[in-house]
Amino acid sequence: MTLLRNAVFAAFSILLMALPAQAQSSAEDLVRRMAAEVTSEVRKNPALVNSQTQLAALVERRLMPRFDFDRITQLAMGRNWPKASGAEQRQVVAEFSKLLVRTYSNALASLKDLDVEVRDSRKNGNDVTVRTQMIGRPKPVAIDYSLSNAGGGWHVYDVTVEGVSLVTAYRDEFNTLVSSSGVTGLIAALKQKNGK
Amino acid sequence: MNCMSRSALIASAVFGTLSITSAQAQVSDPLEPVNRGFFALNEFLDTVAFKPIATVYNTVLPKPVRTGVSNVFSNLDDAFISVNHALQGRGKDSANSLGRVLINSTIGLGGLFDIATDQGLQKGEGDFGQTLGVWGVGAGPYIVLPVLGPSNARETVGRVARIASDPRTYMPDVWSYSLVGAEYIQYKADNLENLNLLDSSSLDKYGFMRTVYMQRRDALVTSGRAAAGAP
Repeated sequence: MTLLRNAVFAAFSILLMALPAQAQSSAEDLVRRMAAEVTSEVRKNPALVNSQTQLAALVERRLMPRFDFDRITQLAMGRNWPKASGAEQRQVVAEFSKLLVRTYSNALASLKDLDVEVRDSRKNGNDVTVRTQMIGRPKPVAIDYSLSNAGGGWHVYDVTVEGVSLVTAYRDEFNTLVSSSGVTGLIAALKQKNGK
Repeated sequence: MNCMSRSALIASAVFGTLSITSAQAQVSDPLEPVNRGFFALNEFLDTVAFKPIATVYNTVLPKPVRTGVSNVFSNLDDAFISVNHALQGRGKDSANSLGRVLINSTIGLGGLFDIATDQGLQKGEGDFGQTLGVWGVGAGPYIVLPVLGPSNARETVGRVARIASDPRTYMPDVWSYSLVGAEYIQYKADNLENLNLLDSSSLDKYGFMRTVYMQRRDALVTSGRAAAGAP
């Protein structure tokens, strides 16, 4: 009986140890896959990087389904999120997503080297941060992806480029806008930016 | 307390915690009015002078020439990186950058070619501001310098140290100004795309640059500390 209990206990502990490791590796796989998909599309069609609309379409198709825009927006709004009504929250999410798609497409256009290398990943509660570097001259660019898995697979909720977090960068702006002209002011500013 | 306000309180407490986990408090910027003035000046100079000059520079000069110029300044910078890594107690990193200077200055023909990277000696990151940070000096308030752009109290001191130790400072005026000017134009030309990206992605460029700059400097100090702590 003791032996059986020990065996079950051992099996259980192995399972428990294996679980987070597996979670980490599947998050790493997702980042690897996203990078590979974008790289191969750009390699197949190098003229792509010269077309804003084609790039935006690529980003929307390949990357955006893997981003958790609700969470990104929530984090970027921080303490202002609960101040917005449900309808306002949805509007901010929609407009901010548009802005991010454009920012991403523009960033892609300026990248000559697309080789992404996954370095490692760290577990942080239920979240995983996958550290990658983009190989380029004169030095590689460090890009960290923060992912969470709330049931529907891994989704990115922050991207940190060379130590600069996207969410944090926008939070200050959002804060300033909301304190000066309210959530409506923030929505108006996002719309104006997207309209250009 | 009624039910509504309590749930609002709980919600804000929850989201407050969320926000703390991925960001620090807002940046210290007591000089904001002055900073915004210099920011506007720099934007103006960028629009009327530096961006057009950088665009012409990129169009007129062939890529190998531009890379060569960029490499020469990068080689000079590697010498400073090596000194700073030594000051931070990062012997291995310091030796790496020194090795880069030696290889690129000789086989790389005075720094024109970055042979060291091909040899597996990756370019490091370091400056006097980072060294002060590793030594424990705080960032201080955000400062926008005329022409030079974003900085903070610590980095401004770092910049002065760099200028004081840069050989170009002690050259005859004509040489000194043209070499520093050339590096500045090269820098703008290298970053033209990034500058445009910043324009298209920020709602309030001043605030966006401030956050990005302070985060970036923080990250450099943190990575410097980590490297100094490692055996």
